[in-house]
Amino acid sequence: MDKQQEIARLEALAYELRKKLLHLCGTYGGPVHIGGDLSAADLLIALYHYGMNVDPNNIMNPARDRFILSKGHGAVCMYIAMALRGFFDYDEICATYGKLDSAFGMHPCKVQLPGVETSSGSLGHGLSIAVGMALAAKQKGQKHRVFCFMGDGETCEGSIWEAAMAAGSYKLGNLIGIVDRNRQLMTSYTEDFIHLEPYADKWKAFGWNVIELDGHNMAEIVAALDSLPAPDSEQPTVLIAHTIKGKGVSFMERDIGWHAGALSEEDLERALKDLEATYGKSGVENNGRNL
Amino acid sequence: MGVTFNFGQFFLSGRTVIGDTLHEIGLKNDKLWVLTPDTGAALKAFKRDCGDRFVDVGIAEQNVVGIAAGLALEGNIPVIMGMIPFMTMRACEQVRTDVCYQNLPVRIIGTGGGLTSEGGSTHNAMEDIALMSSLVNMTVISIGDPNMIRDILWASMEYPGPMFIRLAQGKKDRVIYEEGTMKYEIGKGIVAREGKDATIFAHGEMVFQALEAAFRLEEEGISVGVIDMFTIKPLDKELVLRVVEETGRIVVLEDHLMYGGLATAISDLLMDRAVYPKAFRRLGIPQVYAGFGTGEELRKKYGYDTEATVRAVREVLEK
Repeated sequence: MDKQQEIARLEALAYELRKKLLHLCGTYGGPVHIGGDLSAADLLIALYHYGMNVDPNNIMNPARDRFILSKGHGAVCMYIAMALRGFFDYDEICATYGKLDSAFGMHPCKVQLPGVETSSGSLGHGLSIAVGMALAAKQKGQKHRVFCFMGDGETCEGSIWEAAMAAGSYKLGNLIGIVDRNRQLMTSYTEDFIHLEPYADKWKAFGWNVIELDGHNMAEIVAALDSLPAPDSEQPTVLIAHTIKGKGVSFMERDIGWHAGALSEEDLERALKDLEATYGKSGVENNGRNL
Repeated sequence: MGVTFNFGQFFLSGRTVIGDTLHEIGLKNDKLWVLTPDTGAALKAFKRDCGDRFVDVGIAEQNVVGIAAGLALEGNIPVIMGMIPFMTMRACEQVRTDVCYQNLPVRIIGTGGGLTSEGGSTHNAMEDIALMSSLVNMTVISIGDPNMIRDILWASMEYPGPMFIRLAQGKKDRVIYEEGTMKYEIGKGIVAREGKDATIFAHGEMVFQALEAAFRLEEEGISVGVIDMFTIKPLDKELVLRVVEETGRIVVLEDHLMYGGLATAISDLLMDRAVYPKAFRRLGIPQVYAGFGTGEELRKKYGYDTEATVRAVREVLEK
């Protein structure tokens, strides 16, 4: 498949993921972290369907790339991106999400859901765990990468910078951070109170190779993933992906009210129409229910 | 059960035993990783010979626990050596969420138990057993004899789930039991001394003090048993119930807040089973930030030194 076709395939999958997310948000009956799901959607599709070496039929393959969703509240976006790859059953996610004894809850639980690499949900924890996994791989001479997906808001946590310092010091070229830089926290915008900028400089100062990109431009995401240094190189890389919280739904985009929420039937229809206007040309036609 | 005592004639550094044992294990078991937040002075041999499995993160307890969780998720057995208040409080949430929630075999060795640190209230460790015992899946061990560490660390290579191992200073520890005569089994308390009239439950450095009190009372013709409850969680329930039935007069002595530690675990068990001792006294740290001084001075000031232990036994005997 040539690159253009590959990008078109990924864009179609991302459209599919967004439709499914909105559907769940309109049917679950409780809050879904839809804003941050929509900012992460293109990146998660690119990772699970292009950038990472993962196999739904061999989830414990020692050579697989490891993925840590440090922003654990993006769980449902990860579940569905993984379902589209064949890890899970989308209908089961929809039918059981958040319900008693479900494996699919608001934040990923490794114990209940094999296939995710670690439980997460408490922000600022993922990068340290990723450093541990990357150290283990490096010591054993394994060639896989460890990907750690963070929200920009959670990088207010000091523990992220403890881990960033360690990753630079231990020269973990097999560690890839991805920051979903949607510039929003739960109740404010990132530069309102605590200033993350100059953001790329912070990571550089901690010894990281920094790649900035548009996290909604599939061609840029693919190019960034193509350009990752070899896992046995000596510098961790962070992709600072500039994104929009609520991306694809006009009334959600950059709206503080849509950190998490539920869609009424009427709003679901509006949201799906919005999506179609933006992404409808990408070629996948279905109602968001069927894989 | 026959226990031979050295009774404080010999001293050994717990930290040295840790360093030697981790080195021994590390040479044989390549799953062992040793990590430290800048408290790894005793770990030089491991670092020298197993350097690719040694991680010093600098002063960053949250990070060291997260890294250990990542290593454990990859099938390794990480042992962290750090100072108790910072491992159990600064990094408490990482211990709970990254390690215990996922039931990972991370071992945390902490030094400075109780009021032994001489660093004042920032460095004292009086809440650690309450905190660590409350974590689902966590095993809690308190070391009373430096030689015990060797057996516990070897056993920990096979033992499931997370583990917290508490030491006092770990610098000049009393050897209580004759080396090589003891078998330490996680979850089983040790009858350090049989006694007919009353029983002192203790853990860690307080086992020696309990024995000291028992020997002193023996001179007055009072027979006091001492239980070394080095595993606080899971508690050796059978042993507690048996002893309470035998003497019924109980003193619990610990270098920890007197509520939330071993005394609480024992009293909870007794209430749950509707077993009521004739008398029950707890000795430990009251609700106070104890400040500066040696462990011995502070135990005297706050009422749980050897003298106070002797008094407490006399009191339970009067009831």
